[in-house]
Amino acid sequence: MANPSDLLPGTLDLLILRTLELKPMHGVVIADRIEQATEGVFVIGPGSLFPALHRLADKGWIDGQWIVVPESGRRVKQYTLTQAGQARLAEEKRNWKTVLTAMNLALAEEL
Amino acid sequence: MLSRLYSALRRLFRRQAAESELDAEVQAYYQILVDRYVEAGHRPDEARRLASLRCGHPEAVKEAVRDVWAGAMLAAVLRDIRYALRTIRKAPMYAVVTVLMLGIGIGANVTVFSIVDRFVLGHPPVADPSALMMLHTTRDGHCCGRFSWPTYADVRDRARSFAGVAAYYELLPAAIGGYGDPERVWGQAVTANYFDVARLAMFVGRGFTPAEEHLPVVVISHRLWTRRFGADPSIVGRAIPLSGRPYTVVGVAPEGFRGVDVILDAQYWVTLDNLSHLEPRTDNRRSRDYQWLAAVGRLAPGTSRRQAEAELKLVGALIARQYPASTPAADRDSGFVMEVAGSLPPRQRAAVIAFLASLSAVSLMVLAIACVNVTNLSLARAAVRRREMAMRVALGASRGPLLRQMLTESILLSFGGGLLGVFASHWAARALSVFHMAAPVPLDTSIAVSGSVLPFAFLLSAGAGLLFGLAPAWAASRPDIAAALKGEELLTRTGHWWGLRNILVAAEVAMSTVLLCATGLFLRSLSNAAHIDTGFRSGGVLMMSVDPRLHGYSPERSVELLRAVRERVASVPGVQSVAWTDAAPLSGGHRSDGFDVVGKPGGGARIVDLFMATPGYFETLGIPLLAGRAFENDSASSARVAVVNQYFATHFFPNEEPIGQRVRDGDRVYQIVGVVRDTKSRTIGEEQRAILFRALEQDIAADPSGSGYTLMIRVAADPVSVASAAQSAVHAIDPALAVFGVATMEQHMTDALFLPRLAGTLFGVFGLLGLTLAGIGLYSIIDYWVSRRRREIGIRVAIGARPGAVQALILRQGMTLAAAGIAPGIAAAWALSRLLTSFLYGVAPNDAATFGAISVFLLVVTFVACWIPSRRAAAVDPSLTLRCD
Repeated sequence: MANPSDLLPGTLDLLILRTLELKPMHGVVIADRIEQATEGVFVIGPGSLFPALHRLADKGWIDGQWIVVPESGRRVKQYTLTQAGQARLAEEKRNWKTVLTAMNLALAEEL
Repeated sequence: MLSRLYSALRRLFRRQAAESELDAEVQAYYQILVDRYVEAGHRPDEARRLASLRCGHPEAVKEAVRDVWAGAMLAAVLRDIRYALRTIRKAPMYAVVTVLMLGIGIGANVTVFSIVDRFVLGHPPVADPSALMMLHTTRDGHCCGRFSWPTYADVRDRARSFAGVAAYYELLPAAIGGYGDPERVWGQAVTANYFDVARLAMFVGRGFTPAEEHLPVVVISHRLWTRRFGADPSIVGRAIPLSGRPYTVVGVAPEGFRGVDVILDAQYWVTLDNLSHLEPRTDNRRSRDYQWLAAVGRLAPGTSRRQAEAELKLVGALIARQYPASTPAADRDSGFVMEVAGSLPPRQRAAVIAFLASLSAVSLMVLAIACVNVTNLSLARAAVRRREMAMRVALGASRGPLLRQMLTESILLSFGGGLLGVFASHWAARALSVFHMAAPVPLDTSIAVSGSVLPFAFLLSAGAGLLFGLAPAWAASRPDIAAALKGEELLTRTGHWWGLRNILVAAEVAMSTVLLCATGLFLRSLSNAAHIDTGFRSGGVLMMSVDPRLHGYSPERSVELLRAVRERVASVPGVQSVAWTDAAPLSGGHRSDGFDVVGKPGGGARIVDLFMATPGYFETLGIPLLAGRAFENDSASSARVAVVNQYFATHFFPNEEPIGQRVRDGDRVYQIVGVVRDTKSRTIGEEQRAILFRALEQDIAADPSGSGYTLMIRVAADPVSVASAAQSAVHAIDPALAVFGVATMEQHMTDALFLPRLAGTLFGVFGLLGLTLAGIGLYSIIDYWVSRRRREIGIRVAIGARPGAVQALILRQGMTLAAAGIAPGIAAAWALSRLLTSFLYGVAPNDAATFGAISVFLLVVTFVACWIPSRRAAAVDPSLTLRCD
């Protein structure tokens, strides 16, 4: 599946924030991590990733810094979760759990 | 949230940097993927292909990010606007007062701009107006003369810089018949290429074809078409009678086209050859010595003005060499002058521009005063809001977004003011359009607020919003946090903004002083002009004109007609006396010529204004006869006689008896039979001029009037009461005769006061607005003082100050402030008033009485503005004020 937000709006933002919670990383690594963590369910191309990163940076939840990758020597923009981002992530997680529980209940009832 | 706003703002200003950063980011992503594929064992080109496949097009990626940015920007702006609207709702009085004051200021400027736009910046509604040039000839090096037919033909045929050159005869009256009562309209006779050169797209039909140069065809104006022909499109192809001959309508000009001139008001156009019918003359119109045509040329594509001017110079030199007799030597190097069509007539340009410039300065001052008031208001509000601002700064808000929010608010308010101003000026322009200029030719001086003022109003509003918003926003966005949160009086304590506010108020009092001085001068000038002794009695006189020539009358038949009308109207009940003339006095200048005394060679010709008169003329206008006789039975068959005014008599015959003397105008010799009292001739404000009245019947054949003859009727009662009876008297003799210019002499006098009335009204309104605004400004700052100093006043009263002393203290400080504005204001007005000299009647620009009166008046107004709040100060009850804080 290309973009998790196609399935559920806001999911991609939550995934990015969650990924950056571990440590600061740049775009390619973020995409890799999401792909690994979801066991290949979500494959995120740059066309979805960059707008999402800029949107999150704009809201002040993440912050981009230029660094040099030691192995390749390439300059990349590395994103860090800000304090506001951490707060937001906690809230989003809570929301997600609520949604998940509610959805499970609703679907279980139907079954 | 604030950092989001800030980054959005930063991105707006640093778009370039953000773009290259984004580019680098996307590139890096792609490169890392390439690196990976290479590591995985792919060939470099294969690796790049695979990477591209995974990345998609980089532009598409960047575009998606840009959409995010744009959304954030828009959201930030919308948020600012919502925030501003919320704060405005919280202080509705502040918003209403601000919008009102700015509306007045912007409205004044938009109105003045409409006038400037109409007379200085406007173009006729033709295609590519900037390439349409009016051409003038020069004489003795002086601009601006007309063209003779051969000179026009030379320029048309030789000047390659022009795609076409057309000529036209500017003012051609005609009686238009059919479709209702006959009426006199003004039009122009043009070369057949006129509309092609002008590139005028016709509203209905077409312009002239070359073959129509000799045919009776006519193009009518949109106004004439709607007014007289009910906007009937089938008029094209039909014939309408012009001065008794059918002319086929070929087209209707578009709305707003009145010819290529800026104020002449032409309503129809015929081809030039029709002049021999519409205005038969003995002059040889093909002569090189008879200059009578205006010319207009369309620059050829790709030709600059400079090139065209250089070529005209060559053509001029060529003509001068070829025909030395008709070209004075001084002309040879100058040739022709050209300017964009629709420019002001060169002779009046300087005066009109000076007048409009002073008007613009004055209206800008009104806006400045309004801005100062609003600034002071919002400074006061900033003082109130500083606790809120301090809280937000303490919570980590940076100044940029705070400033932007407050500026959004002030710009929003000023756009409200701008909107109000445009509406107000729309109304003002309509009010101003009722002013008419008294002139023997048709002038259009109407003003309308058109779409072209909108960008101006927009800029003015944005500028005003920034101007009045910046200082208070700056002040409010950098509060001394500690002091403000504790509730201490930061703004009054440091004394800094406090000082600024005082300077602003003094400045606005100074500006309104300058305004009022100008107002005072113009009002005195108007009053002087209205009381100038014109030398005749205008009350109780009705005027009414006909032009027999337009109906094919010969001079002999004209004389009979005018006599018959005079007799018939004289018998209308209530009519006391009746006389014909060729033009009413104070019509802005009709006819004049050089005169010398017969038998006294060497005196040189002196310019004399000429009026035609019939028996009863002096009686009708109430002009006393001082010596000799008035006109009696002086007919075409008897020797020419003249009545002169006193000024003429004393200047031509300083120590002689004028009666019986003979004076000469070319080959016409007049014997002076009477002397009358001086009257004003062309304009009310003029220096006395020499006037010679001649017998209408004696000169009507040799020197007919080009604009008809005016019947002056003295009536015992209201002159309007005989208007219809007088018109029926004319139509009883010839029902086809067009009667025009029916008006009382009083109305005519009002029009003659056009300039002083216009100036007096505009400056009067602006002066009053400025004074009101400055008065409110002074009042509100004193009021603010008092409210800020209640505690201090309370203490003073508590330790024994009498209320009277407290009031005196406030008054003294207020009046010091007022005087600090009035004194430099008077000085500035004194220096600037010199610019107004040429617009003032009978009052010196540095008229001490006006300046003195204005100073006293201002002192009184400012005293009242200070006195009201000072009473509040005196009423402070210490037991209340000291307890409440």
